[in-house]
Amino acid sequence: MRVRAKKEDWLKKNADLCIRCATCMAVCPVSRVTSLFPGPKNTGPGAQRFRHPEEPSVDHWVDLCIGCHLCNGVCPAGVPISELNLLAKTKYLNEKGRPFRDWLLTHSYLYGWIGALFSPITNYLLQKPVVKKLLEIILKMDQRSPLPNYQSPLFREWFKGHSSKGGKKIAYFYGCFTNTNDIDVGKATVEVLEANGFEVTLPTQDCCGLPMLGNGDFDGARKKGEKNLSSLLQVIRSGVEILYTSTSCGFMIKHEYGHLLELPGAEELANHTFELFEFLRKLKESGNLNTRFKRLSIKAAYFTPCHLRALGIGLPAFEILKLIPDLELTRLEADCCGMGGTFGFKKEKYEIAREIGNDLKKAIDRVNPEMILTECEGCRLQIRHLTGLKVLHPVQVLRDALLLRP
Amino acid sequence: MGYDLIIIGMGLSGLMAAKTALDLGKQVLIIGKGMGGLILFSNTIDVLGKVPETLPLKDGLSHWIKEHPEHPYSKIGVEGIEEALSSFVSLFPPPYTFHSFEGRNRKLPTAVGTLRPTYLFPTTLSGGAFLKEGNTLIVGFKGFKDFYAAYMARQLKCRYLTVSFQKEGPPDLTATYLTRQMEKEEVRERVGLEIKNSLRGETLIGVPALLGLHDPMRIKAHLEAITGGEIFEIPTLPPSILGMRIFNRFKVYLLERGANFLLGHNVSRVQIKGSICEGIEVLHPPISRFYSAHHFVLATGRFIGGGLEADRERISESLFHLPVFSEDSPERWFRKNFFDSHPIHRSGISVDHSFRPLDHDGKTVFENVRVVGTILSGHHYIDEGSREGIEISTGYWGVKRLFE
Repeated sequence: MRVRAKKEDWLKKNADLCIRCATCMAVCPVSRVTSLFPGPKNTGPGAQRFRHPEEPSVDHWVDLCIGCHLCNGVCPAGVPISELNLLAKTKYLNEKGRPFRDWLLTHSYLYGWIGALFSPITNYLLQKPVVKKLLEIILKMDQRSPLPNYQSPLFREWFKGHSSKGGKKIAYFYGCFTNTNDIDVGKATVEVLEANGFEVTLPTQDCCGLPMLGNGDFDGARKKGEKNLSSLLQVIRSGVEILYTSTSCGFMIKHEYGHLLELPGAEELANHTFELFEFLRKLKESGNLNTRFKRLSIKAAYFTPCHLRALGIGLPAFEILKLIPDLELTRLEADCCGMGGTFGFKKEKYEIAREIGNDLKKAIDRVNPEMILTECEGCRLQIRHLTGLKVLHPVQVLRDALLLRP
Repeated sequence: MGYDLIIIGMGLSGLMAAKTALDLGKQVLIIGKGMGGLILFSNTIDVLGKVPETLPLKDGLSHWIKEHPEHPYSKIGVEGIEEALSSFVSLFPPPYTFHSFEGRNRKLPTAVGTLRPTYLFPTTLSGGAFLKEGNTLIVGFKGFKDFYAAYMARQLKCRYLTVSFQKEGPPDLTATYLTRQMEKEEVRERVGLEIKNSLRGETLIGVPALLGLHDPMRIKAHLEAITGGEIFEIPTLPPSILGMRIFNRFKVYLLERGANFLLGHNVSRVQIKGSICEGIEVLHPPISRFYSAHHFVLATGRFIGGGLEADRERISESLFHLPVFSEDSPERWFRKNFFDSHPIHRSGISVDHSFRPLDHDGKTVFENVRVVGTILSGHHYIDEGSREGIEISTGYWGVKRLFE
């Protein structure tokens, strides 16, 4: 793995910024539910002072960092605690070796389309207890973890057969999960943008690389980033801006391509890539948002994904959905769903993920909504798993308010 | 979009400023580099710890104001301070609310077994005021390094109990872990029973302030039903669960009223035209965003908050480059003891009656910028025991005078 020489110095400098105030210890979802993880202050800047690139890693608990970035957000000294943890975790996993399961979890882009192509069979098998048991025994995937459903046709195929009405061009980075597992999010995005007078294009795109980065595979993530950059830069240089609906893919593209992966062109791409609702909020501010909403009498609760917080754009979806008449929308007072991308699938981490999720479930029970809205696919899987409730992306509700026949 | 008000700083003064502006129906953006000082310092609301318990705080305050015309309290007055405090208390409807003891300071026990005066404190702390030699059992948790029951009990001449939380697993337990455990009924049953069996005539039971984030009164009542004693919380080292309860309450209140809340981002630049601030730039590499507003509140605190920076030569305010007032020049800064009253603790920004920053000639520097909180000059909050009082009253009046 190439963690460049600059990083060594970077690590020390940033660890030394810590004033040991323990604010991060107030928000860490993992150390809140388990004493196995000593908390960000200790695993990040604290342990960093004892780490040496030439010495073997001894801090096995760093692998329990869920990568939510909440600690970064509250630190008054500006210590990038998540990144310190991620780099330490990478070194630890490089030495210890990664199970085949981790490879599988981070390469779903390779087989997702096959799963979707044979979706009736895939879904049937993935719901079978015996298959789940086997996955647990062979792969150490927890048999209780919420496996996604596969859908066909793929979103990209649906789009091919979709006729556009023209308008100003806008490109859509839909991400793997929308393409193979949640194609209605993609459809809704296209329909909402068309209702606002845009023509949607789908640029060539690959997995953003976040699953790999989260599992400490910098090389794999970098390859994905380079591939996406070469295609997406062409799009923005032709004068077309890029939107995304997955806050995780978006955070990866906007912030990690440059900051952690140091990919050339990342800054240019970041400045022309926007979260869908951030974009719609700009339309609203300039008076160009289509707000001819129908009444939707639904009691819904909104959950803020960790990566949306890390994007630092506020709660644009919450702001826009508030405009829909009769929609009763409450913001859930909870941090982190526990899924952590691929964290919650892993047998050794499932209990922790579920405990974190249980705190969110309690917050949901206090509100007692009909459905939950959240931008992150991992959160949606986890919340469905924990509550059995209907969980949608905010754009699906926005589409219904714009287009649904009364 | 242009906001009515952008508040920089997410400590108690910034949050109070945001609440006041939202109550007046304004569009507010509050932005914090981190979560602010509540989680570090604010277990209780100190207004002026120097006032003896025998005197009503009101009388002590008016005396103080007469003698300290340069103090932030002198810009507000006794009634103004009371109004601001009630606005704060209104966030916490009973049962979990903030009280004083008959309008006077009261000494409450600390985790190191000393007694410190404070003015307003949450309901769950009140039992501590009645601690006397031998009448209290101090309860700690094994593996919780931020609270040593044995040490505290020895200072206060009481008995103690250390509850073993788990049989196996790592030795260290964190405040948030224990707080979450205390929210579980079955855990309280076990802990409560262990406490009950250890009581030797004590009627008060002091526990570290870990009685849950959401409903501490219910947890306290449950433990009291099991033990038969009166439970009170004792503030611990950071992260302060008591401070988190305050922060979370503000957050819910502000977001419900439509505030835009940006946590974890640094204001990298302010855009100034003449004596007007037009907007701020927030850098989140590689993106920088510009936010404009009619008015701005600077509530960034002193050195720990990052509002002031000091080097060998000077103290500076890093964002607006406001003039900083210091009592003494750096060559006279040396003190023998760390806790000696040091001039660095009095440095800060001078403001006019509307909390607008002043230069050394007493002229207004920016027309549409208000400065509130501990960054103000003329006070030494550590020595005075006035941190939260200054934060709440200047945060409140800085905004109130702006819009009225």
